[in-house]
Amino acid sequence: MVMTVRDWAVRFGEASDRDQTIGAMARYFTCAYMWDMGTQKVIVEMVDGKVYRINTDPQPLDAYDFVLRASAATWREFAKPIPAPMYHGIWAASFRRDLKIEGNILIMMQNLRNFTVQFELLRKVGVPV
Amino acid sequence: MAKHSPVIGRYVTIDVDGYEYKVFYLRNGSGTPILCQHTAGCHNHQWRGLLEDEHITKTYDIIAYDLARHGKSDPPHNREWWKEEYTLTASHYMNFIIALSDALELDRPIFMGSSFGGNVALQLALYHPDKFRAVIPVEAAEHAPGFFLDWWRHPHANAAQVCASGVWDLMAPQSPDMDRWLTWHYYTQGAEVFKGDLFFYSVDHDLRGKLGNIDTKRCPVIMMTGTYDFLTPPEATENTARQIPGGIYIEMEDIGHFPMSENYPLFAVYLNEALRIVEART
Repeated sequence: MVMTVRDWAVRFGEASDRDQTIGAMARYFTCAYMWDMGTQKVIVEMVDGKVYRINTDPQPLDAYDFVLRASAATWREFAKPIPAPMYHGIWAASFRRDLKIEGNILIMMQNLRNFTVQFELLRKVGVPV
Repeated sequence: MAKHSPVIGRYVTIDVDGYEYKVFYLRNGSGTPILCQHTAGCHNHQWRGLLEDEHITKTYDIIAYDLARHGKSDPPHNREWWKEEYTLTASHYMNFIIALSDALELDRPIFMGSSFGGNVALQLALYHPDKFRAVIPVEAAEHAPGFFLDWWRHPHANAAQVCASGVWDLMAPQSPDMDRWLTWHYYTQGAEVFKGDLFFYSVDHDLRGKLGNIDTKRCPVIMMTGTYDFLTPPEATENTARQIPGGIYIEMEDIGHFPMSENYPLFAVYLNEALRIVEART
């Protein structure tokens, strides 16, 4: 059974805020990004390494810096404890699968270390699709 | 009692196309020489597991060098290199490797490299087959477009972290955390040369239509690629090996683009098989 997006947001926020790898270099990790999972979208707002807010019902004019878009099936692959090859990261899936990275990619690059660690938390937390 | 490694580091000065390079290399073992090339934007610590592998160093002389501008090998001492954009070409890259091999008086070494080191291994097999006993291109293909990107040295981002985290998921999730983070650490150290290396990797290296000219009777080619390599996926390497008459392809399960540094014990299983094939063919 798929968890609700609200339950997911709580779990993801807690997992991120207590992650030691993010915490070790969190000070300037400030950005807002959307994860478009096909049937569900979320906007995660980060401020100084902590999850400030997760918007679980983004509206058309809600702002974010960059977005990752892929099918729900791809997001479910991302969330497996050990993803299959080509679903094991944002670069792999954008080169070889249906993941699209759009928006202000410079901001993603500026936060790439922590964003990559945070993305892999999906393997523990799961996805709401 | 201090715990010393048997690995020794030295410098040797060579001339390559008029460029004077003081090259740093690590060495351990005795027997057939294996010359080892690190990946783009990295350095020879990627081969630390192989350099201390007692089983292999009993019969092989492992030499892992830093390509010029990487690790402890400086840019050329006889040029104002800071006034030119660094873009590595296939020709200069091959001439460097041959000049180093000659300076160390190696007798037809096996050449092994990963990623852009694997791609130059294919170039060496094609253009200099009599200089090498065999080549082992790791994570290589006839052509590897798509990674010559401005992001690797964008002044508005932390280039060290972009390079290191940009190659993070070239590694398999099963590889040990310590080894993946050590590889990440190495990749924070080469941001200024990464893009220039990738000029060779993604632009100048293009052997499409030429692989049939590789003579594996003179220089056997044993290719190996990990299943988690998104940049040179297994099918790209397999397709390359298939076009080389007598070319061998070994698929490495559950490992990625930096097999020698992300999970050496697993890589060693496949490397021993590759060396067994080299011995049988030479």
